[in-house]
Parts: sequence; structure tokens; C-alpha cells
Amino acid sequence: MSERKARPVVFEKLADIPSVTMSLSDTLVNKTGSWRYVQPKYNDKTSPCNETCPAGVNIQGFMRLAAEGKFREAAILYRQEHPFPAITGRVCFHPCESACNRADFDEPLAINAVERRIGDEALHIRTENPNKCKLKEKVAVVGAGPSGLTCAFYLAMFGYKVTAYERNAKAGGVLRYGIPDYRLPQEILDIEIENIEGVGVGFEYKKALGRDFTLEELADSFDAVYLATGVWHSKRMDIPGEDLPGVMSGLEFLHQVNSGNPPKIGPKVAVIGGGNTAMDSCRTALRLGCEPVVVYRRTRAEMPAIDEEIREAEAEEIPFEFLTAPVEVIEKDGRVAAMRCIRMKLGKPDSSGRRRPVPIEGSEFEMPIDTVLTAIGEDPEPEPLGDGLEKEWNKVKADRFGRTSIERVHAGGDLIDQPHTVVDAIGAGKKAAIGIDVLLRASAEGEVYERIRVGEKGSVSTGKYVGLGPDQLHEVVHYGDLNPDYFTPEPRTEMPHLEPAARSSTFEEVNKGLSEEQAIAEAKRCFNCGACIECDNCILFCPDIAVLRSPGGGEGPGKAPFKIDYEYCKGCLVCVHECPRSAMSFEEVGQ
Amino acid sequence: MKKVMMGNHAVSHGAMLSRVDVIAAYPITPQTQVVEELSELCASGRLDARFIKVESEHSAMAACVGASQTGARAFTATSSQGLALMHEVLHWAAGGRLPIVLANINRAMGPGWNIWADQNDSLSQRDTGFMQVYCESNQEVLDWTIMAFKIAETVRVPMMINLDAFFLSHTYEMVDLPDQADVDAFLPKARLTPNLDINDPHAFNALVTPAQFFEIRVHLQQSMEEAKRVIVDVGKEFGEHFGRSYGLTSDYMLDDAKIALVTSGTASGTARVAIRELRKQGVPVGQLKMQAFRPFPTEEVRDKLAGVEKIAVLDRNFSWGAGGIFAQEIKAALYNAERRPQLYGYIAGIGGRDITPETIKEIIRKTEEADRPKADYTWIGVMP
Repeated sequence: MSERKARPVVFEKLADIPSVTMSLSDTLVNKTGSWRYVQPKYNDKTSPCNETCPAGVNIQGFMRLAAEGKFREAAILYRQEHPFPAITGRVCFHPCESACNRADFDEPLAINAVERRIGDEALHIRTENPNKCKLKEKVAVVGAGPSGLTCAFYLAMFGYKVTAYERNAKAGGVLRYGIPDYRLPQEILDIEIENIEGVGVGFEYKKALGRDFTLEELADSFDAVYLATGVWHSKRMDIPGEDLPGVMSGLEFLHQVNSGNPPKIGPKVAVIGGGNTAMDSCRTALRLGCEPVVVYRRTRAEMPAIDEEIREAEAEEIPFEFLTAPVEVIEKDGRVAAMRCIRMKLGKPDSSGRRRPVPIEGSEFEMPIDTVLTAIGEDPEPEPLGDGLEKEWNKVKADRFGRTSIERVHAGGDLIDQPHTVVDAIGAGKKAAIGIDVLLRASAEGEVYERIRVGEKGSVSTGKYVGLGPDQLHEVVHYGDLNPDYFTPEPRTEMPHLEPAARSSTFEEVNKGLSEEQAIAEAKRCFNCGACIECDNCILFCPDIAVLRSPGGGEGPGKAPFKIDYEYCKGCLVCVHECPRSAMSFEEVGQ
Repeated sequence: MKKVMMGNHAVSHGAMLSRVDVIAAYPITPQTQVVEELSELCASGRLDARFIKVESEHSAMAACVGASQTGARAFTATSSQGLALMHEVLHWAAGGRLPIVLANINRAMGPGWNIWADQNDSLSQRDTGFMQVYCESNQEVLDWTIMAFKIAETVRVPMMINLDAFFLSHTYEMVDLPDQADVDAFLPKARLTPNLDINDPHAFNALVTPAQFFEIRVHLQQSMEEAKRVIVDVGKEFGEHFGRSYGLTSDYMLDDAKIALVTSGTASGTARVAIRELRKQGVPVGQLKMQAFRPFPTEEVRDKLAGVEKIAVLDRNFSWGAGGIFAQEIKAALYNAERRPQLYGYIAGIGGRDITPETIKEIIRKTEEADRPKADYTWIGVMP
């Protein structure tokens, strides 16, 4: 029933009716709700960025806060889904931007750049943990890389006593030992790790699985275990001369540089491979005063590295030898002197879908070189993780919550079959934390997954898991669902960069981050796909004044602060059509 | 102050003296000088009105509707095809009870393209709910423009003043322009209510169901009936102020006439010249000049034609498939009268062809000769 009262006017004789056609009451007397056979409702939906983020970050949510300049609130909201915005704000390959609906309008939102601004704000916020050690169960996390740290963070937030075992002297894993400082300064990492310690995670450094303890021992003394030791063993090239001094893996090279002990290399450095390790290695070598060259057996189009990293290497004028593969490392006086290479051409596509490189006979040539850094991929280390851990293609078999073939042992990150990226590692850590909680609380796994999934691509939401939202339908909003008439083209904000010429002698951060004004302007470009931001279009367009502000919040996903007065809503759906961001739906109703 | 001016400027000055608030008009031959003069009067500051430029006559009337709905005195002028384009909004103005005044220069409807006088444009708007008067001289044009506002605002029905293309619109005649102060005294400004008013909000002209629409239209006809009395009163009051009185009709040598010639527009003056000559020859002819067409002065027509034997109606218009429109209306008015004289319908002057004293004499002669009408209408001056 409507809360508004109709005041009907009754005419009994001709003179009662005005000669000028005019209202004598209001439109409340005309209960147009009886005309309705479809009815609108408020329904927040899932944005494609949110769905595509492997960590399930509520991007449109933090963009809305950032657009209002509320960076602190944005950072707190962000951390519901992912503990380290300052880190992925610097190193993420941001698949969210590729999914951004704005790409169909002008240019995708610079999500990663705004994320970094939020992240820099988060560095000043220590997460409060009201549940700290409230539960009796203990969980061990093995490997304090992005995946292990994430899992430890959320388990601690859920109330578990968490111990993280780390083989190195410091936590961070690939973030500390694999990513150079010019992309991710280690101080940032230190602050994030302090935050994780603050929520109740204990760290045991220089403790390695298989050396200092076994999986069985852990399983005996903990209620659950999360394995996230990563992949640190580089693939071999299997060519003559590979074991000469002067040939080392890119990962090992980066590990040494990041540990403060850069090896003596160069001056001529060949980096073999086209992935992120190759890009990090060549750009690090440049900063050490060397002359790096990238040798890759396919073309630029097939390079698996993040495009931005390739472009930065190009901007730094690092030469690339495409369609080239090493066939032998040549020695002189016990050291590397040259590398014999062969030119390749692209043949039929292989199992990865990329065209297989085929050697061109007789095209061999020598390249004078002092150091070879190999970066052609990684495998899990040969030492066993533990007996009975089922593997497939060298990857630990794990389900959507990281459960392995051993009960109470979960695994994630680069150990399992998923892309080797920081954000995928974080996503796996999050899923494992929820999986362990589901296990220890004996919840129904299937129901939980259905409730907390974010769209259809496998991401989940810790916010949804603990009941903090976002309250939204799984349905994903695509460009065609939006009403772009309400948006105006605005150029994408690009981050300022350190000039390439200045980079060869410094590990100073290359990307400089957005100013507050720039971040607000960019956040305002967000369409907030699927989320009601109270633009009031529904109120303005409703021809029956049937949409009312309802400050207490409405009902259903999103809890938009509007109420539809169904005594008057005639189901014209103008509100649904004029909603710029598809935060409304409709359903058929009987009379 | 007496001035020689064209009929179109008599319209403009009538509107200015009436202190219109809003003018929205689109130029069309032969009306153009009406808006040209008004725009200059506005631009020079002599007339304190908002002149709204529009892209069509439909918009011109729509702008007047909007202005009038706020209580402003709104005016427009047009002709022929332009009037036809306004058609939809004419209904709106009348249905909305908005006392807009519209000057229409009577011009034939094309095609063939024709810019000259006949009455088919205005008579095609017969049922829109606009009052209609037809003028004979530039003085009448000026006087009726001023009176029209007073009549329209009294009964809240819009009014159309008609003047023949070129015979009045472009012809210079002496016009006695009243003083502004005298016009102000005759036509004071009062805000009509109800109207759009933020202090008394109502929705106007929205959906009306069958439960009330009929009654609202009955009100419109009641106002049209009232307008017959108001036109007479205002015409008399105008005479008291300015020495020239008007009414729904006027007559000439009709008292003892056996033949009544019914005319409208500029043909009326021509007819009086012919009637004077015919009277000298002993032809017992008089004239009934139709000033108002809507509301139709049924009672006056019955009264004034009660004593004649034959009625000749001169129509500068035609309802295709029927006959002359004034003739039809007069027949209809007489049908329930106690005495029904023979009625002879004549069509002359279509598309701006001259109606001369000889045309009138031919009509009277034909009427005199025939025992009874051979047809409902007779073409005058059409090639054999």
C-alpha cells in the first residue's frame, strides 16, 4: 500500500467542472499501478572489471568512493577483497582494464593507476582485526609470497592463529625477490607485511619445506596447511655451454639484485625469453650499466610479458632479436664469449595457440656476449612438496577453493595450474583462506561458492563471504546493457613516468602515480556498471512520481535508497531504460 | 491621430495599442508586414513585448499557447497555408481557453499556388473553437484587433480577425489611431486566473476521461453563446470610447428591402456602392454585412432577414462538395425560423479575382429575375 493519500474530487453538476482543464487534486487519485504487467526493481549487478579481476576486487565500489575523494574509505573497501592495493597498483597486468565497458565508449578506465593511488593511501592505514586469534584453530602457510600472504591475511581476519613459513630472510616471495625496485620499491612491501603482522600473522623466516620441516609434520601440528611456495626453478635451455660461468637464470639474477648482492655481469647481456622475467631482467641489467639484448624465438606479438613492460623496455631502447633462438653458448678462457643463434620462422600453431617457431636451416650466426640470462619459464622445484600430493603436468591438483588430494592441505599460487601472475596468486590465496574456513567450520562448499562468486570467471568475494557485500546479482553488465547517453567522452588519465633517458643509472620507480586531482578525475570516468550511484534518473524520469527516495535504503541487491510505489508504477520501465548503469531490472507480474 | 496606413500595419498598431506581452509569428505573404512592423516596434522599444522568433506557424501558435497559459497577452498573425499549419494548436488554444488573438490575412489555399484573397483558409478553421470576425476596412482591422483582446479575455476564448489579402493587407487607407491612454482605459490589463502560477500550482490540459470531457466542451459552447452578447456590448462600449460602434452584423438599406444581399469582408463596401445605384433604379435591395462568423449570430440573422423575400449570399469561399459556406450557415440559421425566405447562393472572387460593382449588380439582377433558386450555388464570372 502506498503511504501517500489520494484526495479524490467528485463532480456532481456541470458548474462543478472548471471550464479550464486543470487539476483540482493531484495525480495520486489515478492509481496507475493497476496497469502494470511488468515491474521494475533495483538490482545491483556485477561489473565486468569485478568479474575479470582474479582477486575479485570491487573496482566500481572503490571508484565511486575515489570519485568523491574518499581515498581512505576506498582503501578500506578495497582491502575487503585484496590486502595490497599498493602492490598490484604497481605490478598488476590489470585484466580488468581489458574488460572495462568504457573501452566501447572512448578508452578503458585507468583502473590500475587509480588503484595505485588508493594503495598509497592504504599504506597509511593499519587494518583493524576485531577477530584477532579468536578461534582455537591454527593454520600454517608455507611460502610468504603474494598468495601465502593473502591467505594468511584473510585467515587471520577470520580469527585463526596463522603461522607463515618463509624460506628467505624476508617475506614477499616474488614481490621481493623477483620484481625489481623500479617497479615495486621494497619499502612498500615492508609496510604491507607489517600490516599483515598487525592482523595477527606470525612469521617464521629461513624455514624451508623439505629442509626444516615436512608437510606431514605441519599437518600434524596445524589444523590446516596452505602451500604457496611458488616456482623458482628455471627451465633449462638444453644447449651446449649452458653450465658455463656467465650463464644464469633471470630469476636467480633478480633474486641476487633484489637481495642487495648484484652479480658481476656484462657488459654485453643476452636475455633469453619474452615473458615478464625476461623484461625485468633486461631492464635491471640496463640499470646495472650493461648493454642488454632480448633474444626471443617468436615475434613481439607472441610475447607473453605484460604489454606495458615491453613498451617500457622499448622506451629504454633495449634491442630485441625476434625469431631468434640460442643453439650454443661459446666459451673462451673458461667464460662466456659468444652465443650462437639460429633464425626462426613461424609455423603452424602449437598447443598454446601461438604459431610454433621453426628453425631456418643455415641461418646460424654468432653474437658476442658476456652474460646469458635465461627466462624461458619456470617449473616447481624438483624437491618433493610431500608424498601423496597429486599433480598433473607438474602442477599440484587443486579445486576452486585450493583443496588438494591431501585432506586439510590446500595449495595455490604458481604451484597450481593457473596463470603465473601476482593477482592470480592473490586470488588463489583468498580462495584458499575461504576454503580452509569452509573446511574448519564444516560449511556447505557448493552453497558458499554460489553465494560468494563474482560473475562467471571463477573469482570470489571475501566481502560477500563475511556478509559485507557487495550485495549484487551475479549477472554481469556489458556495454549493451548501459545507457551511454548519460556519459560524456573524457580522455583517459595516464600516469607520469620517469624519463627513459634517466633510467639507465637508477632503480628509482618508473611510474610516478596520479595526483589526488587526477585520481578523482579518472575515478569519475568510471561508469559504475551495474551499481546504483543515486544519480536520480529514475526519480526524474518516472512519469507517475512512483519512484520515491527512501533514505533507509531499499530492498534487494544494492539496497539503492529508492522505493517504487507499486500503487502508481504502471510498469512503463522508463526508469529501467534511463538508468545509465543497468542498476535496475524488471520482471513480469500477473495482474 | 489620423494616419494613412496599410491594413497589415493597422494590425500591428492595433496589437501595440493593446499592449501585447508576447508576439510569436512566422512571416508569410501577404502577412509579412504585420510581423515586420511589430518586430521593429519591439526592437525600437516603442512596444514592450517579447518577440519570439519561431521556425513555423505551428510553433508560433504553440509559443502563444505557452505564453497565454502564464497569463500573458499573446498575439500572432498568419495567412493561408500558415494558418493551416497552425491547425492542431488552434484546437489547443481554444480547448485550453487561452484568449490569444490571431490576425489572419485571408488568402486562397494552394495549389495552384496563389497569394490572393479568398476565405477558404479561415473558414477551414471553423470548428477549432476560435471566434472569427471579418473586416471591411483598415479602420475595422485596427478597431477589431483592440476589441478582440477585450472579447477574448472576457469569455476566455481565442479570436481570429480576418482581412482580405491585398484588398486590405497592402492597401493604404486613412486610419484613426486612438491614443494609448484611451485604449488603456478601454482595455485594462488584468491577470486571468486560473493560470500557471507557482503559488497556486495546478496541472493544465492533461488527460481528461470521458467522465468530464463532455462537460468541459459544453462550457466552451456556453462561452461562445456568451460571446455573442459580449461582442455586442464591447462593440457598443468601443463606440462610447472612440465613436465607432460595432456588432455581430451590420445592415444597410435593409429595413424596406425585398432582396437582402449578405456579404463579408471587403466585398461589403463594393456592395454598398452597387446597392446605392440599384436603389436609384428602384431595385428594393439592402445589405446584411456579416462581421462575426463564430460565434454565428443566428438570432440577428433571423431577425434581420425576417422581412425580405429573397436572400442573395455572396461567398468568396467554397466548401468543396457542398456550396458557399456563409450561404450554408444562413440556411441553417433560418431552418427553424418562422419565415424562411428564398436563398440564392453566389460564388465570386475566388483566388483573388476582383469583385466589382458590376459583379454585385449581376448577382442582384439574377436574384431579381429568378422566381426561385435554380441551384444551391451559382458561379459568378467563370469562363463559359
